[in-house]
Amino acid sequence: MAEPARGLHVVVDPSKCAGCNICELWCSFEHEGVFSRSMSRIQVITYELVGLDYPVVCQNCEPAPCVELCPTGALSKGRAGGIELDKSKCIGCRVCSEICPYGAAMMDPKGRYPLICDMCGGNPACVAACPTNALSISGYAMVELPARSTAERFAVTELSKLAKGWGIEVRDDEGA
Amino acid sequence: MLRVDLTHMTYRVEELERDVALKYLGGRGLNVYRLYWEVPPGTNPLGPENKLMIATGPLVGFPHGLGSRINVTARSPLTGLLGDSNAGTHFSEEMKYAGYDQIVLEGRAPRPVYLYITDSWVEFRDASSLWGLTVRQAFNAIKKEVGDPRAQVAVVGPAAENLVRFAGIIFNAYRAAGRTGMGTVLASKNVKGIVVRGDGYVEAEQPERLLRALEQLIYSLYSNPQYWPRRVMGTSRILLAGHRLGFLPARHFQEPTADYAFRVSGELLAIKYNVKVRACSAGCALPCARFFVVKSGPLAGLMGEGPEYEPLAGFSVRVGISDLDRALKIVMKVTDMGMDAITTSEVISWLMELRQRELISDEEIGMKLEWGEADAVERLVEMIAYRRGIGKVLADGVKRASEILGRGQDLAFHVKGLEMIQADPRALKGYGLGFAVASRGADHLRSEPFIEVEDDPELGMRLFGEPEAAMRLGVKGKGKLVAFFEDLNAVVDSFEVCKNTAENMLVLTFESAAEMYSAITGVEASPAQIREAGERIVNLERAYLVREGIRRKDDRLPNRFLKEPLPSGPAKGHVHELDVMLDEYYSVRGWTSDGVPTPEKLISLGLVEVAEDLMARRVYNDEGQGRSG
Ligand code: SF4
Ligand code: SF4
Ligand code: SF4
Repeated sequence: MAEPARGLHVVVDPSKCAGCNICELWCSFEHEGVFSRSMSRIQVITYELVGLDYPVVCQNCEPAPCVELCPTGALSKGRAGGIELDKSKCIGCRVCSEICPYGAAMMDPKGRYPLICDMCGGNPACVAACPTNALSISGYAMVELPARSTAERFAVTELSKLAKGWGIEVRDDEGA
Repeated sequence: MLRVDLTHMTYRVEELERDVALKYLGGRGLNVYRLYWEVPPGTNPLGPENKLMIATGPLVGFPHGLGSRINVTARSPLTGLLGDSNAGTHFSEEMKYAGYDQIVLEGRAPRPVYLYITDSWVEFRDASSLWGLTVRQAFNAIKKEVGDPRAQVAVVGPAAENLVRFAGIIFNAYRAAGRTGMGTVLASKNVKGIVVRGDGYVEAEQPERLLRALEQLIYSLYSNPQYWPRRVMGTSRILLAGHRLGFLPARHFQEPTADYAFRVSGELLAIKYNVKVRACSAGCALPCARFFVVKSGPLAGLMGEGPEYEPLAGFSVRVGISDLDRALKIVMKVTDMGMDAITTSEVISWLMELRQRELISDEEIGMKLEWGEADAVERLVEMIAYRRGIGKVLADGVKRASEILGRGQDLAFHVKGLEMIQADPRALKGYGLGFAVASRGADHLRSEPFIEVEDDPELGMRLFGEPEAAMRLGVKGKGKLVAFFEDLNAVVDSFEVCKNTAENMLVLTFESAAEMYSAITGVEASPAQIREAGERIVNLERAYLVREGIRRKDDRLPNRFLKEPLPSGPAKGHVHELDVMLDEYYSVRGWTSDGVPTPEKLISLGLVEVAEDLMARRVYNDEGQGRSG
């Protein structure tokens, strides 16, 4: 097995993110032609009580559990980074969605197929639109994959690190 | 549109009348339309027959860059007149994605509930265990129970439950629709909170055209020189500016400046405590809500969102507090109790001035009360929220409180029963006119004629043909100025976008508004038609007030501002010349000199039924006889 690493992906700086959802809206428009928070491939998780926001997005795992476990071979690594979905092969089985260690493979609202970042074919709409520069592009970092997680759980773990710096304790059962 | 019958715990989804949507745009316009026709004169604001409307607007849900808002409207328990309040919140777009432009709440639930509204159903959930909780506690409890991080939650605090007349609805834990007691109305209906969640989407009829308009809008936002100061400080930066221009309400409008202003300023807050910018809603490209954490000292660990200028000034200079940490603590307490910060700061500072003038004793108040006594202010906030001791009197608002005590009526700073905001009209004359005529009482957000602060005679000449229009101490041209910005703000509020960006930075003009509206709805609207819609909304609100007996005599400012010259500061010696400005304003509006929209005016705006209604109620027969209501 190869070293755990990441391919080209969107990098998030939660200390800058304002929770404005602009990334979500443009991602949804880019892929679905409508503006919606639920049809985005990047999901901003917000914890109002402590003022924190975390955009959860595919980190392009290497190797990618979603790609490897997809029973129909509908997912593949995109040439421009990200993960590409062949909708004609996808049977909506949710395996990718459940295996993703970041909770970054949300199903579309009707449960038809997963919404996984495909890096917009190389020109990420979310990165271009973000007003706070909380998003950028990077690739090929060497990281340990975290344990399997939902988007909320992953976000709160990351955010609690940030909040510690301000002197605030955030527990993930707070569910704020 | 969603209509909820709380009494029977049922609901139905209705088609929004298409002609109504076109005439009133959305949001505030839509709400006042419903209020006018569905909540007749004589309705008890706290009875089940009052209705509470919540509405979003046509731009909400799109990445327009301006920030999305929501209007809450009902008959006000504070003023007995038009109640309306607006907040920037994620609730707004979520409601839109759930498929509703407007939610109307009717009746009264048989027991405490909170509403859980989604795309496909509405649930009435038991809230008996939430009753009594503070705003943040209730928010947290509901969020946990619902278990969906995307669910947007609005709640009321203890003040609303205790029927304090100026309790607000607090969205997303910190964002208040505070004014005119909308939270009180919600609580009177036995509703502790509203949750909304939607998986839907919005799309434009003419996407290409919308993209072009959005691009321009975003460009004008980013290129505006105010972009960065606003992003760093939000409106909290006004405090220091207010000191410089001499319009602060220090010690209950006895002093227009405060030499300690920097110590309670947005600048210091940003340097010391701001840890992060936040956007109040989806699509805002100028996130100006800041999260603060007090990092050291006895209050270390205190945190929250904001605060904005109004609460910050209200609990610092208005009550004489010069310690930022203490001011922040009180602001958070007021939010947690779910009260309107502006009204709360007025009733407390009014009481302090009564004490200063020895019109009331420490014994009667129940504590030692002096300017700047943060402990006392904090205790008063609680006493009001729980209607204890003197708080019981203050909880009815400053007008009623002064009547109950039979003292300090002249010092009770309100217009039409709504307490004054944190700006002295003697130093901002257009604002002053705006307070006097605003349809919900002494409030700046109806007109917000900010360009008078520019003090630029050429600008005034160019826009209104009157140099003084854009000079804050000028008098001539203020009628035109206020009427123009009232129309614009009616559009901004009905589109439900943020005034800080759309109006204060002049990003949303009638032209760009028309372009976006046409692109989204596919119905071609010209800039003139959009402005007319704004004017229609202002006139309908006025008609609502006129129907209640409101006339020129009620478009007043408290005597201090009309008679006592400002004692110091850059505007020293000035009083507010209200009557001259009123004459100009009424004539620009096409209203009678008694402040009544003429039948011709109403008919020309397509308000035929309203004109007929007013005629049937003999409004015009009594014209000029100063009938009081
Ligand atoms: S969707 Fe999840 S599992 Fe698949 S590559 Fe992206 S982060 Fe890894
Ligand atoms: S890069 Fe493209 S697909 Fe990926 S989250 Fe951003 S907008 Fe969506
Ligand atoms: S656009 Fe940027 S600031 Fe806004 S939510 Fe997305 S990552 Fe955060």
